[in-house]
This record gives sequence, C-alpha cells and structure tokens, in this order.
Amino acid sequence: MIEFDEQLQRMVLKLVYYGPALSGKTTNLLALHDRLSVAGRGDLMMLDTTEDRTIYFDLLPFFYCAPSGMKIKLKVYTVPGQVRHDATRKAVLQRADGVVFVADSLAAGMSVNFESFDNLEKNLSMVGLAIEQLPLVVQFNKRDLPDVVPEDEIRAAWGPTGLPVLMASALKGWGVLETFREIVALTFDTVNARYGLTARYGVEKENFLSEILKVAA
Amino acid sequence: MNMDTPQLSFIVGEERRLSAIISRAEIEPLLRSLVKAGPVWAAVVDEDDLPLARQGVDAPLQGYRQIRHDLIVEAEARGALVMAFDPQLCPGADSLALLVRDALQLTVTNNLKRMLTTEMHTTVVQESYDQLMETNRQLLESEGRYRELALELERKVEERTVELQKVYSRMLQQEKLAAVGSLAAGMAHEINNPNGFVRSNLETFGRYFQKMMDMVQYYQLLIASNTPLPRLQQDTEKKRRELKLDFVIADTRDLLEQSITGSDRITRIVADLKSFSHVDESGISDTDLNAELERTLSVLAPQIAADTVIVRNLQPLPLVGCNPGLMSQAFFNIIQNALLSRETGLELQVASRIEGDEIVIEINDNGCGIPADNLSRLFEPFFTTREVGSGTGMGLTVAREIIGSAGGAIEIVSAGQSGTTATIRLPLAAGKR
Repeated sequence: MIEFDEQLQRMVLKLVYYGPALSGKTTNLLALHDRLSVAGRGDLMMLDTTEDRTIYFDLLPFFYCAPSGMKIKLKVYTVPGQVRHDATRKAVLQRADGVVFVADSLAAGMSVNFESFDNLEKNLSMVGLAIEQLPLVVQFNKRDLPDVVPEDEIRAAWGPTGLPVLMASALKGWGVLETFREIVALTFDTVNARYGLTARYGVEKENFLSEILKVAA
Repeated sequence: MNMDTPQLSFIVGEERRLSAIISRAEIEPLLRSLVKAGPVWAAVVDEDDLPLARQGVDAPLQGYRQIRHDLIVEAEARGALVMAFDPQLCPGADSLALLVRDALQLTVTNNLKRMLTTEMHTTVVQESYDQLMETNRQLLESEGRYRELALELERKVEERTVELQKVYSRMLQQEKLAAVGSLAAGMAHEINNPNGFVRSNLETFGRYFQKMMDMVQYYQLLIASNTPLPRLQQDTEKKRRELKLDFVIADTRDLLEQSITGSDRITRIVADLKSFSHVDESGISDTDLNAELERTLSVLAPQIAADTVIVRNLQPLPLVGCNPGLMSQAFFNIIQNALLSRETGLELQVASRIEGDEIVIEINDNGCGIPADNLSRLFEPFFTTREVGSGTGMGLTVAREIIGSAGGAIEIVSAGQSGTTATIRLPLAAGKR
C-alpha cells in the first residue's frame, strides 16, 4: 500500500503487471485504457520507451470515491521485463498490493516465464512482501497466436501453484478485463480483511468493482 | 561520493501535492496572459483550495462570473484553475479559461512524467552504484583474504620444505642403513669363511708346532746324554718318521700360505666396503664411475648367484664431479633390483659410454620385468612389490634423487617378461648441483 490516511479517508493502492520481456504487459494496460470508461480513470502515462520496450514503467491510475466519502486511488503499473532492468522492477514492486503475472503463451516462452516468475519471487522477498499473502493472478497472454502451448498443458503446469490462471489476448482485447477484475477483486478482499473497507469505511466490493471496471460506452 | 551520503529513496507511486509538481514560476506567466485578455482575476489553487499563484485585482469579486476547472493528477482532481470575469466585457473568457487549463494540465502531466523518470533513474543509478560498491568491497575483502592466504601459504611451504629436507636426509640415511644391512649379511659370510679356515689352519699349525717341539726336545735329550753319532742319527730318523715331520713341514707351508691368502681376502673385502661406503669422504670429488660400478658389483658379490653371467662393457670415462658415496648407493640400489629379478640363469649387463655431452650407464637384466601398471609408480616413495619387511620402497626413489641432484636423469624401460633396462644419463660437465 502506497498510502492510507484515515483522517482524510484516502487510500492509495498499487497493482503491478509483472512478467518476462515482450509478454504484453503494456498492451494489457493499453487495452484497459481503451476499454474502460474515462470516468474514474486517468490517462495512461508511459515513461520513456526504446523500440516499444518499456525501460521505466507505465502507469494507469484509477480514482474511486465511495458514497461514504472514502477515496481509493488505484495505481496500475507495468515493469520492464528485460533481465537488465531488475533494479527498476524491484523499485516498482515496492509496496505492491497485488500482482498480475503476464506470461508468454508461446512454446518458446515457457522457460523465460519460469525465470521471470523466479525473479518475481526473489524481488518480492527483497522488498519485504510475502508471496503467499500477496494477491497474485497469472495471465497467459497471446492466446490469439497459432504456436501457443495448449491450455490444458498450462493448467497442468500451473495448477499446483493454486494461483488463478487466465487466458487472454491483450492485442485482441479479450481476457484483459477478466484478469483485471480478478486482481482488483482479490486485492479488495485482502485490503478489506485487514482494514475493514466495508465495515468501517462503507466501501462495497461490488460498487468498487463496477466503478473501477466501468466499460466505455 | 562516500558511504555517508544520505540515500535518495523514492517510493514509486508516492502521492505528491500539486505544489510539488508545478511551480509558481510556471503558473504565473499563464495567469498574467489570461488576466491581460480580460478576466479581472485568475488563480491556481491546490488541493486545499489555497492559492499557489494569483493575478488580477484584489477587489471583492461580487458581480463577476466565476469558473473553475480542475487540474487532474493521476486521475484525481488535485487543484484547479479559478477565474472571475465580466461576461459582458469578456465574452471569450470561457474558451480562454479552457485553453489555460489545458496548458496547465499539460505542464502538470509533463512535469510529473519527468519527475517520475528522474526518480526512477536516480533509484536505479543509486542501486547500481550501491551494488558496485558492495561488489567492490567484497572483492577487496576477498583480495585481502587471498593475500593473507598467500603469505600464510608461503610460510607453510617454507616450513614444510625444511621439514621435507630433514625427512629426506633421514630417509637417505635409512636407505643407506638398509643397504648396509643387506650387505652385512653377505659380508659376514665372506669374512667368516676365510676367517674360519685361517683359524682352523692355526689350530692345525699348533699341533704341528708341538710335533716340531717334540723333535727338538728329543735332539736335546740325546745330545745331553752324549749319545754316539750313529745311534743319534738312527734314533732321530726313527723319531722323525714317527712324528711324520716331512708331511708336517710341507703342510705347514701350505697352511701358512692359505692363511695369508685368507687374511688378504678379508683385507680386500674390508677395503671394498670402505671404498663403497666412502666413509672417509664427504661432498663432491672427481669420481671414476666405472670404478664405482666395479666396487658396487664387488660388494654385491655375495648376493650374486653362482650361475649368473655378468657382462661388463665399460668404456673409459672421464672423471666426473659428484658425490661418489651417493652415486655408488644409486648403482647399488639399481643393480640389487636386477639381481632380484631372477633366481637362476641371470644375465646382467653393465655398460657405460659417452653419448654427446652425456655419460650413459646402462644396467640390463633378463629378469621377470616390470608390469606396465607399476612402471609409472616405480619412483614413488614407499612403492614396493616386495614382501613387507624385505623392501623399503625407497630404493629407486633415492636413486632418482641422487642422480637428479647430480644433474642427471634415470629412465627404466621394461618389456614385460623379457627383462628390464635402467638407463642413467649424467652430464659430462657434472658437478653442478
């Protein structure tokens, strides 16, 4: 959590899209930006890129104000996937409330997926976050491509982790909202359990979700 | 930069106030232009509605129309452009306000972007720097450790070298003692044998001497009793035959000759031993290697089976500067191995010659040979195929050390069952150690 000011009734949460290089993290945020209503969300801020590859991060902010007056800001980040940008990944990961791991569905991407996931585990522990307690969703992206690993194989490999695994094509725009809903819902539950969002601050989960995920007309 | 520099640390996503993102200096020119175009008053206020900058009259604003446009920071309104104007006097104020709001919003967004980039860049640089410093520190530390280790190692090597030298000289001594031991057994026999017959001859001579004394006393007795000459001749002749004096005298001559020969043999054996061991000498002297080979063969003679054929092919060699005692020890160890290679029918060839600037000594036998597996281990200390207690396993090790320290080399070739050849090469200009 970035910030929680009880007096001002303000909470700032952080979600991070993690994963190997070129798995489609920025594309996920672009798709969210395109599909979600401009009300309640800010513009997608893309820091410098080289040849379409993120070198710092992208940021898509959401702002929610509950009928009770409680304000929740949700900042959604991507990290650079290339191995060399590990310091940046670590910095972005600090104080994250939820992580979407965007994996590459291509057969050639399987080993880099595992490497990147190991890197996520390592960096989470380095920034003091416990992976067991952190809301975490796995998205297998690029399902629109022909040479992807079959879904049942993916489920067989990742099922034992107990993590929610979703299929998506960020480029075509499907699976993106479902992934986002999943991580927002999980994050809400976790924060709610700890801070009593509903009980103490009158924030209803369904209202929160529908406001954040309001689809553009 | 030193380690005490306070670290800049940013939390990505940290909230910041509008005043931290846009400065008064950036706002004021826009407001000034805005007010010049008609509105009486314009200001930018922050999230607590406190003005960051303002332009225009300070008069009461009643009667003027006011508009407010939010400034958005990360999806949230975090301040606003507020403006008051007279719609009659300034009909285009609405669009002017939107224009200025857009300009402010762009500045805010761009500033924020720049700040985030800078912060992230600083964080990454800082972390890389910290990592480099840490790596550097670890490297320096391990370098220090290795330097210490190297020093320690050097000291230990010196210690162990001294220890090894002591052990080596003790080992050499023991090997020498072992050789002396095996020599002693043969030598004892060689000395006891002549000594035995010299003693037995002396005993026999003692009895002969008694007989001669008897003869002398008999003469004295006859002369004392004035025995007439013919009788004296007759009686003494009889006594002489009785005592078998002719035989006794002849045999005595043989006995004495034999005893002298025996005694000479003992003298020669002792001289061989003494010269073999070089007990009187120490250090390097001009040495005739052929003579050393002969001496070695000679002291080993008691261990050489009777049917052994020894072929010598010793060509004249110049004197070589070396330690003769040690060199004969080396020959002894090698030749003794050859003697043990076969029980009967041994043919031992000992050859020496000059090849280029080297002296080559070859000792060859037609014995049992050395299995290929053992060839590489021949010079290993304590490697032996002999029964426990009968070989020290040091013979060839010592031989190689001795030859090596004289600047030479030894090579042993064995063609399985058909014998073994040891080849020793020593530089002609030896003596360099």
